[in-house]
Amino acid sequence: MEEWLYIQTEVYPALLKGFWVSLALIAPSAVFGLAIGITVGVLRVYGSRPVMAAANAYVVLFRGIPLVVQLFIWYFGLPYVKIYLTPFIAAVLGFSLCSGAYHSEYIRGALLSIKRGQMLAAQSLGFSTVRMIVSIIFPQAIRRALPGCGNEIIYLIKYSSLAYMITCIELTGQGKILASNSFKYTEIFLIIGACYLAMTSVASAILGRLEGRLRLPGFEHQRI
Amino acid sequence: MPESLIAITDALPYLIEGAGVTLIVVAGAMVLGLAFGVPLAIGQVYGHPALRRTIGVIVWFFRGIPLLVLLFLFYFGLCTALDINLSAFTVAIIVLGLISSAYQSQIFRGAILALPEGQFKAARALGMSDLKAIAFIILPQALRLSVPGWSNEYSIILKDSAVAYALGVAEIMARAHFVATRTYQQLPLYLTAGVIFLVLTYLGTKGLRILEEKVRIPGYSSQGV
Amino acid sequence: MTTPILRIENLSKRYGTKDVLKGASLTVNKGDLKILIGPSGAGKSTLLQCINFLVKPDEGRVWLEDAEVHYTHKGDLCAYRQKVGMIFQDFNLFDHLNALENVRIGLVRVKGIGKREAGERAVRELERVGLRDHLQKYPAELSGGQKQRVSIARALAMDPKVMLLDEPTSALDPELIGEVHSVIRDLGANGMTMIMATHQIGFASSLASEIVFMEDGRIIEKGTPEKIFCHAENTRTREFCSKITELYGETR
Repeated sequence: MEEWLYIQTEVYPALLKGFWVSLALIAPSAVFGLAIGITVGVLRVYGSRPVMAAANAYVVLFRGIPLVVQLFIWYFGLPYVKIYLTPFIAAVLGFSLCSGAYHSEYIRGALLSIKRGQMLAAQSLGFSTVRMIVSIIFPQAIRRALPGCGNEIIYLIKYSSLAYMITCIELTGQGKILASNSFKYTEIFLIIGACYLAMTSVASAILGRLEGRLRLPGFEHQRI
Repeated sequence: MPESLIAITDALPYLIEGAGVTLIVVAGAMVLGLAFGVPLAIGQVYGHPALRRTIGVIVWFFRGIPLLVLLFLFYFGLCTALDINLSAFTVAIIVLGLISSAYQSQIFRGAILALPEGQFKAARALGMSDLKAIAFIILPQALRLSVPGWSNEYSIILKDSAVAYALGVAEIMARAHFVATRTYQQLPLYLTAGVIFLVLTYLGTKGLRILEEKVRIPGYSSQGV
Repeated sequence: MTTPILRIENLSKRYGTKDVLKGASLTVNKGDLKILIGPSGAGKSTLLQCINFLVKPDEGRVWLEDAEVHYTHKGDLCAYRQKVGMIFQDFNLFDHLNALENVRIGLVRVKGIGKREAGERAVRELERVGLRDHLQKYPAELSGGQKQRVSIARALAMDPKVMLLDEPTSALDPELIGEVHSVIRDLGANGMTMIMATHQIGFASSLASEIVFMEDGRIIEKGTPEKIFCHAENTRTREFCSKITELYGETR
């Protein structure tokens, strides 16, 4: 009875607050990350030499350095050069840039996988470059990149928990606070774990549904 | 400016020691992941449907929960609840290892499924029991096909190991933060930590690429058959 | 004298130090069926791809119906390519579209024709090549011969003045070659102007109005099938023809 009361009055509201913060972190990071990924991916395939080199350097850095380190640099490190970001902004910045590097890998792979003959055929029919990109390249690239980019967003859901480490209190952070006060670590983190499982499962299901809607013969993706 | 360089050079030996800790954590996690991942994969491919479903749930669980949550759950939660006294270091290896085993099981499963059906049939035709067929024919090939995926797993675990800092494990990130708060040279030190991770990633993937070349089966690409 | 429908003068292309096409010139009249023959690496493919500027020639000019093609101007180039159809050895169908959509997309996206009208035209073209029952199939679901027929329908839907065919049956299994040949033969019978590179000598000789023999990037000799195969002027032409008639038997 007492447990129930505790859950209702303290745990539930706190976790709910944390959940909204988590969503507020995930949504913009996913959008920005994808936008950055598409831009960088395109630059890495079609850009001029120096642009390609710069884009590749960005990807190597942001895929090679742990996300934790990146977050620390944005939040604890930037004040060194007099830039002060809130934990939330630093988190979204870190997530977007890191996620963007991974997205660009998938986009690049998708663009490279489009056979050159497709473009020759489009040109021979009189397609202008823009038309060709919109009608021929884009529809195919989306289908090839979808599994990878979709998975990256699922990863984002999970590593949004790292925002806690730069004092942005989202779901995990709220859990830590509650648990340190009540010492009910196991229960609370099982609940939090369940929340994340729910989020990632829903996201996976949506991804699967989306892949199904866009599926075409010849574009099958072997889900492992 | 120079004082940041001083801070870095002073801290470097300390940080490199941390790199050693990191590498041990990563190695431990990879081995644990391998030790559990292979049986999970075999169970998922050749096992009873009930076993397959159970493994599916296990994999779903460890792939769906954030690392940080799992670390807290194990270290602060289960350890006190079950009254086990494990160091943060050990817990980090165990948790990273369990998560990795879920991902590695899928790599191995993919490799096993990529082998032509005929392999198993031929083994049976020679009179091998299923167990022998798996041990001597399927696994050796599947393991070699998995090396590229394993190499990818290395760089993932390496980066995830930095999260162990949250439990107080004295790896690179923890040490960088420790020195940074004392010297106020946050940016230079975190950048240095980043560079150390880059170097470790580079060396590791290079090394694993050499391994990949050594064990490559002629005629097979890393995408399977 | 009627103006030729297509005139090519002095097309040349060099890749690095290698001259793959040297000073090729050709005059094509309406209804002609010119067949390019020659050993591999002779420049047949390059010549065809230079004609519609998929490969930019280093030298040379092209006139379509007496209007010179200014290929440096993007708008002009696209307009020109709409009037010249190309069939590739590898089909190059758009993988994400089914047969109907493949034929339709040029009409809708390049010519700006409405979807319904374009769709009706696409169905007619696909019926013409014998694929009425395969409209909804995707390239991954079609055989090689079917894919090539779709690509012919796709090119025809654009109402081209000239068709360029780059070894249309080289990638096909032998039993599928016949269906593509019969479509090409029908096109010729209906008066389509075509330039085709092929190794299928028997088919070539029965259809061609002129055979063009190429070797080492140059046009060596041109003439009627009878002339080229039976009493060619040039020794290299005679050598090549004797080798291939050995392989393929009598050409007439």
